[in-house]
Amino acid sequence: MSREALVNNGPITEKPKNLGELLTAIFKNVYVLYAISIICFLLLWDTMAVMKVLGRFLPRPVEVLYQLYDMLVNPLAGKTLMLHLWFSLRRVLIAFVIAVAIGVPIGLLMGFSPYFNAFFKPVFDLFKPMPPIAWISLAILWFGIGETSKIFIIIIGAVVPCIINSYNGIRLVDPELYDCIRMLGGNQRQEVVEVTFPAAFPAIFAGIQISLSMAWTTVLAAELVGAREGMGFIIITGMNQSKPAMIISGMVVIALTAWAISLVVTHLERWVCPWKTNLE
Amino acid sequence: MEDKSGVKKPKIECVNISKFFGEGQEKIHVLDTIDLAVKENEFIVVLGPGQSGKSTLLKIIAGLYKPSTGKAYLDGKELTHPGPDRGIVFQRYTLFPWKTVMGNVEMGPKLRGVPRKERRGLASRYIDLVGLKGFEKAYPHQLSGGMKQRVGIARAYVNNPKVMLLDEPFGQLDAQTRYFMEEETVRIWETEKRTVIFVTNNIEEAVYLGDRIAVLEGKMPGKLKKIYDVNLPRPRDYTDPAFLELRHTITEETELTL
Amino acid sequence: MSDKQSAGSKIILKVLPYLSLLSVLAIWELVVDTGVVPNTLLATPIQVIELFFYKLTHADPDGSVLLIHALTSIGEALTGYVLALAIGIPLGLLMGWFVVAEGLARPIFEMIRPIPPVAWIPLAIFWFGIGLTGKAFIIWASGMVPCVINSFVGVRMTNPVYIRMARTYGASDWEIFRKICIPSALPMVFGGLQVALAASWTALVAAELIAADTGLGFLITMGRRLLMPDMIVLGMLMVGLTGVIIGVIIDRVEKRLVAGVRR
Repeated sequence: MSREALVNNGPITEKPKNLGELLTAIFKNVYVLYAISIICFLLLWDTMAVMKVLGRFLPRPVEVLYQLYDMLVNPLAGKTLMLHLWFSLRRVLIAFVIAVAIGVPIGLLMGFSPYFNAFFKPVFDLFKPMPPIAWISLAILWFGIGETSKIFIIIIGAVVPCIINSYNGIRLVDPELYDCIRMLGGNQRQEVVEVTFPAAFPAIFAGIQISLSMAWTTVLAAELVGAREGMGFIIITGMNQSKPAMIISGMVVIALTAWAISLVVTHLERWVCPWKTNLE
Repeated sequence: MEDKSGVKKPKIECVNISKFFGEGQEKIHVLDTIDLAVKENEFIVVLGPGQSGKSTLLKIIAGLYKPSTGKAYLDGKELTHPGPDRGIVFQRYTLFPWKTVMGNVEMGPKLRGVPRKERRGLASRYIDLVGLKGFEKAYPHQLSGGMKQRVGIARAYVNNPKVMLLDEPFGQLDAQTRYFMEEETVRIWETEKRTVIFVTNNIEEAVYLGDRIAVLEGKMPGKLKKIYDVNLPRPRDYTDPAFLELRHTITEETELTL
Repeated sequence: MSDKQSAGSKIILKVLPYLSLLSVLAIWELVVDTGVVPNTLLATPIQVIELFFYKLTHADPDGSVLLIHALTSIGEALTGYVLALAIGIPLGLLMGWFVVAEGLARPIFEMIRPIPPVAWIPLAIFWFGIGLTGKAFIIWASGMVPCVINSFVGVRMTNPVYIRMARTYGASDWEIFRKICIPSALPMVFGGLQVALAASWTALVAAELIAADTGLGFLITMGRRLLMPDMIVLGMLMVGLTGVIIGVIIDRVEKRLVAGVRR
């Protein structure tokens, strides 16, 4: 059954005549399928765990749930799960703010001044293909294994999308908008204030969005650098103590947080760019 | 504007305008020695097929392009830069997507530093004139093509320009809306008389709207072929025999197949 | 903008990029040579180049010559990458057209999508060991996400007029999927190849930093353990450079394939 047939023939509006049609209607419903999918996934996972397909390193879903509950209530290395999450989030937020404060102005300058762009872009292109994780060793060498090197690594990861999107946002403004504002009597300063900034804003905002999720992705890598708290610490501890349930519950919390972040940012975007058409 | 001899000077005058784009091998000759004079409060239509350089001519008058040779004048003063004494309406509407209808229309006065209350009143008047009352708070992406172009017209009018420049403004509209917008254009122009230069590739539209029609030759570079006077009473009727005859004449004489 | 610039500024704009790279190298060299930044913290460009030539032929002090490191990394990355393409693209295409496929695959995909590659490392090691399989798994997990998303969006963006026309002519769901949806999704699919490569390459470095005995990521880790900043920088530059080279090759292949599709 294809999507287009579902939309055009509208099986939901017609009353099913017999049991067969009723069943087809149920199985065409996306939400029913979602539920089936999740149930099957959990069943498959549980079966694999019970049959020990991956050795003793795949816990049952129930064990993961119990581990989550346990970490929420009983502290691990002196801190509960929420506190660990908070430490990771704090690092992400600090590095994210610094990355935006550095990246957006650089991107804007690159967009505004062809000279600055010609000077800066080769250096940027040189550093861009190096993944933030590759900086871990240098960061440790320079800043030790303290908080600074973690923040540094996250900044490296988060600053790139800010620069790229701010630069492209300025560069890709519809030139006819400039014609328009000049015909309306705008001077050079007004061109920047009334056209360049608002026109580039959605792209810049999108860059900040990507930057935030990049920061959240990178914090784990940063916390591999000997952290005493945070989500990365939980995962490393799970690895050192051979507790896969701890690792998986860490991953669950990380995924949930990433999901929550993107939800918040999407709502924020609707609020700050109400003119942006909703693209499916 | 009358000088001492009592002869009316043209409002807009193009003298010997040519335009080239590019350099060397890729040099393209777009306009060839155009001479054109437009009287005050006259509605002149520049008619030509695609690639005839008609939009380029309009943008030279707007001051957005510099002519390669020749000069364009407004009230005897040479036009070198864009400015609010000419209002422009673009084919692609080119509204500010982050501004509401009100925000778009009040942009001109805002740039001049007119206080908020005053410019709101001014903008409201023109939003009313183009028939968009009640849509002040809508964003461009919520409007239909015809409504977007109404905003474009109001935005140009609100600056009280001496000349209105319209660059194929209804080229992206469907036929029905197009007829309606042509009627509206005449109504607005009759309420607020201005010198209008209207660029189009549609003969019917040209005959319906223009006091005079300046026809540009089809192939590059664009040359002024002939100027027709349209002595038909307004409001005009698309099916009037005199209307159809003029339309036929222009079609025959200019080999425009539109 | 272009007719505003004079000939002089055009020349300046052409020279500036080279000037910029040269001055960055010069400042880097000077900062270390004059002792502003101690040599134990940062190697000079010249030291890095010297080490590069040394490592071309010498296996010590980390156990393998440079080429072996690079080839190991490329081999691991490509294994995971090819697996990601082979599974991710068909899955995304199917999810884009068939409601059942989307309904069944989407929840699982949405669960796995936000997990960063680094988070997979411990499980990958437990399940598959620190050899090729474990690393390929990590790379596969992170390379697959953009493959699925791009193929999915590509199918969704198929012009509905074509689909309706095909349906009028009596084409079946499967025929429409094969003959209309897949070809029109191809540009998006190709766009995903580069994104997936970048994701895979990042994941590779993550995987190698944790557990490896050869590879470019391992070179970086060894540089830290041996306190050799020149080796760290060399490893980083090699990671960047190799990533760019693979990217260019894929871009070439992609252009040729797209040209073939257009024809």
